Amino acid sequence: MLRFASIRLVSLSLSLLAASIVIFAVVEVIPGDPASYMLGMNAQEDTVAALREQLGLEGSIVTRYFTWVTGMLQGDFGTSYTYRVPVSELILARIWISLPLAVYALALSTIIAFPVGLIAAAQRGKATDTGIMAATQLGVAVPNFWFAMFLVVIFAIKLRWFSAGGFPGWDEGFWLSIKSLTLPAIALALPQASILARIMRSSILDTLDQDYIRTARAKGLTRRQAITRHALRNAMIPVLTIIGMQFSFLLAGAIIIENVFFLPGLGRLIFQGITQRDLIVVESVVMLLVFAVITVTFLVDLAYAAVDPRLRRR
Amino acid sequence: MRLPRTLILGGGLFAVFLAAALVSFLWTPFDVEILNIPSKLQKPNAVFWLGSDHLGRDILSMLMVGARTSIAVAIVAVGIGIGLGLPLGLWAAANHGSWLDEVIMRGNDLVFAFPSLVIAILITAVFGPSALNAIIAIGIFNIPVFARISRGAALSIWTLDYILAARVAGKNAVRISVEHILPNIANLLIVQGTIQFSLGILAEAALSYVGLGAQPPTPSWGRMLADSQTMISFAPHLALFPGLAIVFTVLGLNLMGDGLRDILDPKIRRSRR
Amino acid sequence: MSLLSVKNLNLSIHGVPILKGLDFEVQPGEVFGIVGESGSGKSMTALAAMGLLPEGAVASGTAHLEGIDLLSTPEAQMCGLRGNRIAMIFQEPMTALNPVKTIGDQVAETLVIHGRASKAEALKIAREKLDRVGLPAARFPLDRYPHELSGGQRQRVVIAQAIALRPQLLIADEPTTALDVTTQAQILKLLKSLVNEEGMALILITHDLAVVSDIADHVAVMKLGEIVETGTTVDIFRNMQHPYTKQLFAASSHVPERVADAKDAPILEVVNAVRTYAMPREKLFRKPPRFKAVNDVSFTLFQGENLGLVGESGCGKSTLTRAILGLDALDSGQIRLFGQSVTPAMPNTLRAGVQVVFQDPYGSFNPRWKVERLVAEPFHLMVEKPADSRARVAEALDSVGMKPADMGKYIHEFSGGQRQRIAIARALILRPDLIVLDEAVSALDVSIRAQILDLLADLSDRLNLSYLFISHDLSVVRAITDRVLVMKAGQIVESGDTEDVFTNPQHAYTRELLAATPRLPDNAVA
Repeated sequence: MLRFASIRLVSLSLSLLAASIVIFAVVEVIPGDPASYMLGMNAQEDTVAALREQLGLEGSIVTRYFTWVTGMLQGDFGTSYTYRVPVSELILARIWISLPLAVYALALSTIIAFPVGLIAAAQRGKATDTGIMAATQLGVAVPNFWFAMFLVVIFAIKLRWFSAGGFPGWDEGFWLSIKSLTLPAIALALPQASILARIMRSSILDTLDQDYIRTARAKGLTRRQAITRHALRNAMIPVLTIIGMQFSFLLAGAIIIENVFFLPGLGRLIFQGITQRDLIVVESVVMLLVFAVITVTFLVDLAYAAVDPRLRRR
Repeated sequence: MRLPRTLILGGGLFAVFLAAALVSFLWTPFDVEILNIPSKLQKPNAVFWLGSDHLGRDILSMLMVGARTSIAVAIVAVGIGIGLGLPLGLWAAANHGSWLDEVIMRGNDLVFAFPSLVIAILITAVFGPSALNAIIAIGIFNIPVFARISRGAALSIWTLDYILAARVAGKNAVRISVEHILPNIANLLIVQGTIQFSLGILAEAALSYVGLGAQPPTPSWGRMLADSQTMISFAPHLALFPGLAIVFTVLGLNLMGDGLRDILDPKIRRSRR
Repeated sequence: MSLLSVKNLNLSIHGVPILKGLDFEVQPGEVFGIVGESGSGKSMTALAAMGLLPEGAVASGTAHLEGIDLLSTPEAQMCGLRGNRIAMIFQEPMTALNPVKTIGDQVAETLVIHGRASKAEALKIAREKLDRVGLPAARFPLDRYPHELSGGQRQRVVIAQAIALRPQLLIADEPTTALDVTTQAQILKLLKSLVNEEGMALILITHDLAVVSDIADHVAVMKLGEIVETGTTVDIFRNMQHPYTKQLFAASSHVPERVADAKDAPILEVVNAVRTYAMPREKLFRKPPRFKAVNDVSFTLFQGENLGLVGESGCGKSTLTRAILGLDALDSGQIRLFGQSVTPAMPNTLRAGVQVVFQDPYGSFNPRWKVERLVAEPFHLMVEKPADSRARVAEALDSVGMKPADMGKYIHEFSGGQRQRIAIARALILRPDLIVLDEAVSALDVSIRAQILDLLADLSDRLNLSYLFISHDLSVVRAITDRVLVMKAGQIVESGDTEDVFTNPQHAYTRELLAATPRLPDNAVA
């Protein structure tokens, strides 16, 4: 297990390295000089030079790349041009909205999808199953941000159960903050829960066709026991893959849905960064998002090995 | 052979939107580029069937033109995914276990770490916003999807005896991939293509919603939703119809995918027999 | 009183009749053999008794296990019987165990699920049962996972699960079909000793007459959902009544007529062939160790000769075959065809001299091509496709007993035996001198197998073909080859004229193989 984990850790580092090169290269291909691009056409020579100095644009591509990467490793993401503060400060202020939102949504999605998928599989072909399948088919088709808009109309404007948007800050109380993330999390989670429930159902049904389920039934297990004792754990293997992929969808979704709820998260930061041509902010936030996705993939790999003994020895 | 109900229903739903998109090239009830402020924010009525927006444009006409954008972006993105992902997947499968396979698959993993939104953000930051960005971003994300699925399916076919027979008949990997592998994984690609098509519609809507996709004045469903957001409490129809358009198109495509899987996937067909 | 008494068992699946009025009785402590070819309904008979029929199956009649009718017992009570009083093991040991649970847990589960023991006691009993089936604690601790075990070892775990509660009746559905012949002999011996020592009855379902003749007390012969003949094993083999039983017996011991006319001209020469594979790395930065799949093999095949190559799975015969077909390169040594070197880069004209027929009649053809294109595929080796391609395909089909009209059909329209004929037609189309038959009849029912062997013998006489006949099945090799090579762990351990090797084996491994092969009684009368 330790060996498996260390091999995956090496591959995680390599992925991060490759991702950083890709991101750096994309920003490098900007036609012309990033500094004058940021400042626009009419910038003064000395302003541009000052920005170049500030951005660390002097020196060869390789040295600049290493300055960027080593800086990031020490928590230094550079200085935002528009805000004139370290990017790390900007990110730190916002990541504690986007990340909890994505995790909250992932938890909701999983909590909803597991029982729903399980029930549908156990009731295969019956009315419950057909109903669940129809509902999830619809759920998959709903764009989360559109769904979010109507959640706001119903639960915030009409019923006044939740506020229509904004974020009080974690200092103002944990539950208050959770409450303000609840509507966005539901909007994000329901479409993903529909996908996950469908995967869960089909994975269990696939597993039920396996020979070892027949062996288990021949030992005297009831259908239900065969599902809980043998099918579930095997069915988790494809489901884990999807949960891992959903995290990246949810993180991206969180960034989009922040718009609906006026949440001051990474989404706001990055879209402002784009409109104000604050490349250093864009670059850093993108790297951070990719870092999060790759780390989650690594955790999913570890979860695989915990579920499937065949992987541990490799 | 009787067609599955899902295929008929889904195909019908999608055909409506496809037809709307095609008709919009020839005719729309109103010109979507002409503003008509006096008749702004009308509820659905005899003139404006689905109402009008805050600039007095006809919602139905905008939906029709928007369908064009959505479908075009999704089709091209799926095309990019298949065009690049399929050969990569076949190539990796043909060289299974070699460093080439490894490089292609690790490259795939790397792309998977960049959700299409992130790619769109990067491209927009560099080249500025446009519908083309959405196409490229969704297209790039589709490449590893198709590479992975074609590699997986091709690998299982490479182990079959008829591939050995073809090799004994002196055929090389390229010819075998084209003559034997491709026809036998085509079904899978069609089904996956439908799924990616629907995901493409959703992704395009999300990207134009946050301003990274089609730019005004080109109407797009996501853009219409973004514009309607501040008016949702007093003009909910502005948000309702574009959203329903997305839901029904995606639903139609997904149902079509399910139906196609039922008639094309030999695994399911076998278990039915 | 009988242990199991089946009366007028009828079964249909989605309205298609599968079993028609079966009657049989199984006595306590006996081995009851059910023999039949595919489609005879023998597996469905077992599943009906277990109450594990697939969806859409409707059974009628009765099956009394000591007074309890298994067919009318509700599912809840059946769960109490299964694994407790009646147990079953299946054909495919590789997939029969849950890959994510330890073998100890899986054996103990039988006891826990029936409330016979606490988890701790159950594990203790599981240990005893695993010892009993020949998996000692030293090498097979309870926390082993199925993927760490071989097929034969996994089948032993499945048996341990099945006998954990000392059931009165054990049903074994083709328990050894997926196993090598020496492993098969060990598993059959184990089953036999369990019957003797634990006093349980065994229903052994198999396609192999020789297996039942070895261990069964009573036999029922099934054909298309009916029992055509039943009786004690001794009586049945001494005095077969039903024509189908006679036919099955004749096909099982069929020896095709042919003329041995090997010339002194070598076609294929294999000289000191070595082929290795990299094994998984033991240390991250050390070179992975290499496994010698083919280790210094030499032999010569002469024109017109039928040469057999026998060995169990993993002995290297597939690797050797691929090298001979010029698909994989050797690490060292040489293979020469008509004196020219065989390599993956060999010219097409040389490649055309050797063709192949594979085992699996289902995986051997691209399902999207029509027969004409399938059979014509080897024409790719010619500089240009011959103008009379269609006529030559028709001729090839004709020579294997198929109709030229079959050219326009897809492969799924044919049965397993017909597909194997088409595969032979494809091998014949270039009129090669040598055909490699890689387990070419192993997947076929015995009666079909006999027909294909006749066809192969006839073709080799008529067209002066040479065969390299690769098989794990010794009786088939004995029936069709002139000379035989015995392969084990990458090496040829014995070679010689087929009759000599079979009647007077020199190497210990050959003797072991021959002893393990189930044999039909010598005094049987068809």
